[in-house]
Amino acid sequence: MTTWELFTNGFSVLLDPYTFMMVVFAIVVGTIFGALPGVSATMAVALGLPFTYSMAPVPAIVFLVAVYCSSITGGSITAILFKIPGVPSSAPTTFDGYPMAQRGEAGKALGIALGSSAIGGLVSALAMLTLSPQLTQAALSFSPSDIFAITFMGLSILTCLDSKNILRTLISGLLGLLLACVGQDPMYAVQRLTFGSGELIAGLEMIPVLIGIFAVTEVLKQTKKRDTLKSDEGTASVNTKMPSFKEWWGIKWLLARCSVIGTIIGILPGAGATIASFLCYSSETKLSKHPEKFGTGIIDGIAASETANNAATGGAMVPLLSLGIPGGNAAAVMMSALVLKGVQLGPLLLVNQPQYLSATFASMVVTNILMVIVAIGIAKVFAQILAVPYSYLGPIIIMLAIIGSYATNMSIADVKIMAIAGVIGLVISACHFNSAALILGLVLGVICEGNFSRAYTISRANLVNMFARPVAGTLMVVSIVLLLWPIVAGLFRKKD
Amino acid sequence: MFELICNILLWLGLLYAYFFNVLEAPIPDRVARNPYTLKPDMWPKAIIILLLICIALNIINIIRKNKDNPDFHLDALMSIRARLCIGIALIVAASFVLEPLGYMVTCVLVLFLYGLLLGQTHVIRLAVFSVVITLVLYVVFSVLLSVNLPRGTIPVLRNFSLYVESIVASVKSAIM
Repeated sequence: MTTWELFTNGFSVLLDPYTFMMVVFAIVVGTIFGALPGVSATMAVALGLPFTYSMAPVPAIVFLVAVYCSSITGGSITAILFKIPGVPSSAPTTFDGYPMAQRGEAGKALGIALGSSAIGGLVSALAMLTLSPQLTQAALSFSPSDIFAITFMGLSILTCLDSKNILRTLISGLLGLLLACVGQDPMYAVQRLTFGSGELIAGLEMIPVLIGIFAVTEVLKQTKKRDTLKSDEGTASVNTKMPSFKEWWGIKWLLARCSVIGTIIGILPGAGATIASFLCYSSETKLSKHPEKFGTGIIDGIAASETANNAATGGAMVPLLSLGIPGGNAAAVMMSALVLKGVQLGPLLLVNQPQYLSATFASMVVTNILMVIVAIGIAKVFAQILAVPYSYLGPIIIMLAIIGSYATNMSIADVKIMAIAGVIGLVISACHFNSAALILGLVLGVICEGNFSRAYTISRANLVNMFARPVAGTLMVVSIVLLLWPIVAGLFRKKD
Repeated sequence: MFELICNILLWLGLLYAYFFNVLEAPIPDRVARNPYTLKPDMWPKAIIILLLICIALNIINIIRKNKDNPDFHLDALMSIRARLCIGIALIVAASFVLEPLGYMVTCVLVLFLYGLLLGQTHVIRLAVFSVVITLVLYVVFSVLLSVNLPRGTIPVLRNFSLYVESIVASVKSAIM
């Protein structure tokens, strides 16, 4: 089947009024689920499963893809308005989104988040349609040393996140890497750094830590400020405002880079939207002409994070459809839905039943366009909450943080981790450490150590052999240069 | 001063972890004997060593920058506001009482007490708000999203949660 036939076949599935209505419903539900803290994209897809029981396999995958894509976008709404990342992949969106909201530019921040999400999603959908088999083969040829080099490049940004505070940022990143070691080691399941707590054996769950460090810390900061705040008036309502064409044009290369990187990261098994958004945010900080402005509330930061995490959604579908291997947790849930319906997943799926690929593509295209409109409406509803006085809003955020942490695994231990992470976030802020660097270390830590360990064993403990592959070698050299450049440049500046 | 104390405590904590807590279970024999494996303690130990060096440098920097600062003494710690300490205590306490008290009571208490802490003076309005929001969040997460929120382990409170849940369930069945 030619690409054009795939294209037209996909949209013909969506022309069915029932399927189209279900996609619209999925977008609304997915965006709301994504915006609620503690409801991850995987959980959103799992919650959408019961709706597909009575559907045929193709509309079922169309429905679940719509839930998946829109939940990733929905996460940005609360990340911008309340500094609570609705889904973990929206965490980097808080770095610039929340400062913009505090400046009264929440509408513009939401506009850039929704627009760039749509662009990232559309590019990855197109890549999925046209390059699925090739992309899968390329991704599967990545060795552990290549994946380690990619994550190490993400970490190399540490020295650039806050160029005036390189040492403290480095400490924060290393602390994040150390926190990622808590629990069983990724290769041999040996217990480490749990201090005897049985609740930490499985490691630190990402969502409670993110909610604690971002949302709870912010409420605690506001609690401290209450002494000096005279008024208890809430913020005015928010109208989502799309940036001008000139602003979009100014970040065209950023959007292109993050779409490509996000798609590739999405394909890699074990990676996903969270790692994609952190890597793109960090690499764009590095490539920017004004890296010092990242984290202060600029559209580049929001666009990098949101383009990448939505591009990863298309990437995650590539190995599922072309090889029957789920690229991430959400794809695994979708796979189980198809298996329930008796669909034979595997390399022959694209050959024998190409309608799955074409319908997924059409669903992604329609979702990424419609979700902008739906999310604007939902953001308006959420923004109303901003008008509530902080003495009411603060406690609601605390309770959302508690329920969100609990809902991840129905675990009280996660709530305790969230509370402790909130206090740690406050200490980090008081000590001028960098919470973004800490989270970056935590997110990349597990994948970094696991792949380093695998590559170390494969290369028979020879570090030179380990990075002898062209991809790994090149990326490591680039990473080391990126890591050391700000330090060396700082030393030269001092001499001058 | 707060920053210096935190850094020193962190440094000491890491030193303790390096010697006593990196490995809390023996390495399997096959792993220990294999010269080509990365031992489970090597990665965290390498990170801790880097951290010890970086934090030591940071401590030196803090002392050097503040040696002429008249506010750099232990009394500065007293400036940590009581309101903030109560806020921290409330959040930590909520995470610990969620299991015994259950969602309903914990939620009402947190919403009410934190509201007071943030300066809300209309006590009755705040009490009504706490109850309403507790029910709204319960409906959203428990009824719509099927999240089993904790009911509490104290019998009276557990029965109370079950009673409220039965009312919500009967309202739900009446609507459906």
